[in-house]
Amino acid sequence: MKKKNQILDHLILMAGVLFLLLPVWIAFVSSTHRPEVILGQGLQFWFGDYFWETYSAVLFDGTGFTGKVNALLMLGNSMILGLGFSIGKILISTIAAYAIVYFRFPAGGMIFWIIFSSLLLPLEVRIIPSYEVVAQMGLLNSYTGLILPLIASATATFFFRQFYKSVPEELLESARIDGAGPYRFFVDILMPLSTTMIAAIFIIMFVVGWNQYLWPILMTTDESYYTIVMGIKNILNDLEGNNVPEYNKALALAVLALLPPVLVVVVLQRWFVKGLVETEK
Amino acid sequence: MKSLRTLAVAAAGLFAVSGSAHAATEITFWHAMGGQLGETVNTIAKEFNASQSDVVLTPVYKGSYEETMTAGIAAFRAGEAPNIIQIFDAGAATIINAKGAVKPVAGLLNEFGTKFNAEDYIAGVRYFYADKDGQMIGMPFNSSTPVLYYNKAALAKAGVEAPKTWEEFEVAAPKLKAAGYVPLSQSHTPWILSENFHSRHNLQMANDENGFDGVATEIMYDNPNMVMMFTKLKSWMDDGLYGYYGTKWNDNQKPFIDEEVAMWLGSSGSFGGLKASAKFDFGTTYLPYWKSVISEGQRTFIGGAALFAMSGKTDAEYKATAEFFAYLTKPETQYFWHRETGYVPITEAAYELAKSDGYYDANPDAEVGIQQLSLDGGEWTKGYRLGYYVQIREVLQREYDKIFSGATSVPDAFKAIKEDSDKLLERFAKTVK
Amino acid sequence: MKRQQFQHPYLPYLLVAPQLAIILVFFVWPAAQAVYQSFRLEDPLMGIGEFVWFDNYASVFDDRQYAVSFVFTIIFSTLVAFFSMAIALLLAVKADGILHGESAYKVLLTWVYAVAPAVAGIIGTFLFTRNIGPLYNLLVSTGWTFNPQVNVFDASFTVILVSVWKQVSVNFIYFLAGLQGIPVAVREAAKIDCKSELRRFWTITLPLLAPTGFFVLVINVTYAFFDTFGVIDTMTRGAPAGGTSTLVYKVYQDGFLGLDLGGSSAQSVILMILVLVLTAVQFRFLERKIQY
Repeated sequence: MKKKNQILDHLILMAGVLFLLLPVWIAFVSSTHRPEVILGQGLQFWFGDYFWETYSAVLFDGTGFTGKVNALLMLGNSMILGLGFSIGKILISTIAAYAIVYFRFPAGGMIFWIIFSSLLLPLEVRIIPSYEVVAQMGLLNSYTGLILPLIASATATFFFRQFYKSVPEELLESARIDGAGPYRFFVDILMPLSTTMIAAIFIIMFVVGWNQYLWPILMTTDESYYTIVMGIKNILNDLEGNNVPEYNKALALAVLALLPPVLVVVVLQRWFVKGLVETEK
Repeated sequence: MKSLRTLAVAAAGLFAVSGSAHAATEITFWHAMGGQLGETVNTIAKEFNASQSDVVLTPVYKGSYEETMTAGIAAFRAGEAPNIIQIFDAGAATIINAKGAVKPVAGLLNEFGTKFNAEDYIAGVRYFYADKDGQMIGMPFNSSTPVLYYNKAALAKAGVEAPKTWEEFEVAAPKLKAAGYVPLSQSHTPWILSENFHSRHNLQMANDENGFDGVATEIMYDNPNMVMMFTKLKSWMDDGLYGYYGTKWNDNQKPFIDEEVAMWLGSSGSFGGLKASAKFDFGTTYLPYWKSVISEGQRTFIGGAALFAMSGKTDAEYKATAEFFAYLTKPETQYFWHRETGYVPITEAAYELAKSDGYYDANPDAEVGIQQLSLDGGEWTKGYRLGYYVQIREVLQREYDKIFSGATSVPDAFKAIKEDSDKLLERFAKTVK
Repeated sequence: MKRQQFQHPYLPYLLVAPQLAIILVFFVWPAAQAVYQSFRLEDPLMGIGEFVWFDNYASVFDDRQYAVSFVFTIIFSTLVAFFSMAIALLLAVKADGILHGESAYKVLLTWVYAVAPAVAGIIGTFLFTRNIGPLYNLLVSTGWTFNPQVNVFDASFTVILVSVWKQVSVNFIYFLAGLQGIPVAVREAAKIDCKSELRRFWTITLPLLAPTGFFVLVINVTYAFFDTFGVIDTMTRGAPAGGTSTLVYKVYQDGFLGLDLGGSSAQSVILMILVLVLTAVQFRFLERKIQY
């Protein structure tokens, strides 16, 4: 009885795994076929003989006016965007949340609300005024201009605020008895306690940064700043145009775009899950 | 790039004595030509840069037509506009009605280049991006026009000729159906059987001279001929004589390539792509018209896009822009562009060059578009200039989707089109006071 | 707030300064611009135009397509939240109950979290492409005259399916954590009291999971409202018949593609108010939860 149930449970779980895995599997193995094969026989379920041709072309062959745009360059830019975004966000939000939770200061309440108002409106719906601000500051076509406006959302600050609030009161009391000031308390006690949380938020924010879509498209005119998710958009425009679609390359680009963040999440699974769960509290 | 410029400046200093060298003017060109088209733009830009030493042109692909326009406008607002921007037909009113945003091409050429002469350009492309006096504001760049492509074997199997009129189509279609084909499909219905329907039949589209003489506030799509056309399309579809496969361009082109559909209304610019992807012999002919509406079909509008010179630049940059425009309209450049992409050449001289080179003897299909653009024109074949036309096309597409999926009736659809478009036009009129 | 707090004349201001500066420059200012724009009708290039008070809001509510988009957003969010939560809950309950291989399943069921919505959308597009996509072929072979390019129902089906696919992972993580947070003693007692697994789930597990469930619901609604932008943009672009355009996508279509700055800004402000309500609900819930 028990045994039978367990088999059924495994079957359900495997069905779930398959549901999630199959689309990406099909995309991956189809990308190893010639475009004519995909066009003629549809997407494939097993590997073809065109893996090297497709991926070397996508990764290394330069396109664009400068002849330098390839997936490798775009992956590099996505990496900079993902890392810059996550690190910047953590730097700014750990200290901001520290001030909000551990200090009593006159404008505190108001500042809290200003910061959290930024959770209200995603970039997509305020994109043109945001662009103008960046342009006026002379930040078009720069990593700073790409990253800073994205940081203007208080998600991480909110997470850290929640986390700090769950830190036991006694810690601060005993630290004070030991004569620790705000700096010592932050560096010696709060930060060591937050490592898991920081790791988790790093992973989450890296994924968010990497996956940015519309903002980089509007922001960059210099080919050397193109990101991999932008490449997807361009391929899509291309597929809908008049050309003979290179399905294999489009699929390869999609696979390359999802691989790095997925690897991060899989390899750092423990921290990532813990972090997500913490944010609920 | 920067170091290159420093090098150039240094070199200029070094050779200042001889007075022969100087720093080149850098200009940027934002365009919406992806894929193979983008590569062709890059080739032209590289050859232009190599052909002279005064100007360095950098082309930048900015995505779809809409994305390019928005990126350019956002940049303009922020004082970061490119020198040249490619704006598509539906966006023309937005950029032209913003007084002072662009430097009209005719004036630019007169001031900084060779004298502008409207007669140099072929009749069909001359007026669309011009003011009502015929002075060109935007330089037509990738110009195409809707034509009918047909699968020769399919038509032979059914024993029919490619229809010149819709009356002929009504006779031929059942035979094509009997031969196992869906007789017809069409890409971009708002462009082909809406805008160009009016041009082909010399019908008015909107008040104020289709928007050329002021800011139009009333659309005239709900005319009896349009209602008739779409009633026919819907009944053809119900009888299996017309296929509607979706909103996107390729949705309707693909069944033609797959030989499910015998005839397809597409763009004269589709020629190159079709040649590469269709595994069968195809022919090209004019967009059909209704004999019952007009005795002889008139010329069509151009589709595609034009290049605009943005204002607020230095004289040196204007001069560089004029130089590029001059290079672009040279017969050789136009002929190259025409051959590579299938877009029509925009000058008479380029057309002559293509003819004398024997290009059309080998590729008669490539000439159909330009011939159609050179047909007789009437009062309403110049073009249109309508505000928020991107949204109006959305409205058209939305209602057509509803017609073909059976969610609305043809008269109701045109009533909604009229109401929604007029609201948009009215709102637009307020923005350009 | 903490009972024990530091007091310092300037340190807290210094600490919030970077965050505050970025928010003021890159959020508050652009958002204020949007509010200002929502009362104006101007040409997008020169900024000539006029102040029109609430005209833009009136035309938003007068726009038949806005109503369509509103209704679609509600239906879309409800279905995406329901299916992604239901599937995730089922998987979480099973993963929580099995004896072997839990960690393997955990990896295999959570990685989709990292896939960009736009990438999910483009893969979905391929799977549903006529004659080429296996899902297209599968659906057609069942006798369904599946035509997402023309039929609004079919198109909605495709974007909902892809959006659900993308969201199952994160829901799974929360539900599994919620289940594992139920004390062992409670579980053991339940096992003795109630032999039927299904009944045990309905009467004991589900009520205990309710707080998690509510939190996940809020996340899912936010996701369906905003983060599905990439899915819709790559798959349907709001077509056919404008039937798959969410409110966020409509702002993008009218403002970003159509350059109707006033109208789209008014829509942005309406969205802001909607999110304000959502956030208020979420905050109230979170604060309450912390108190017990």
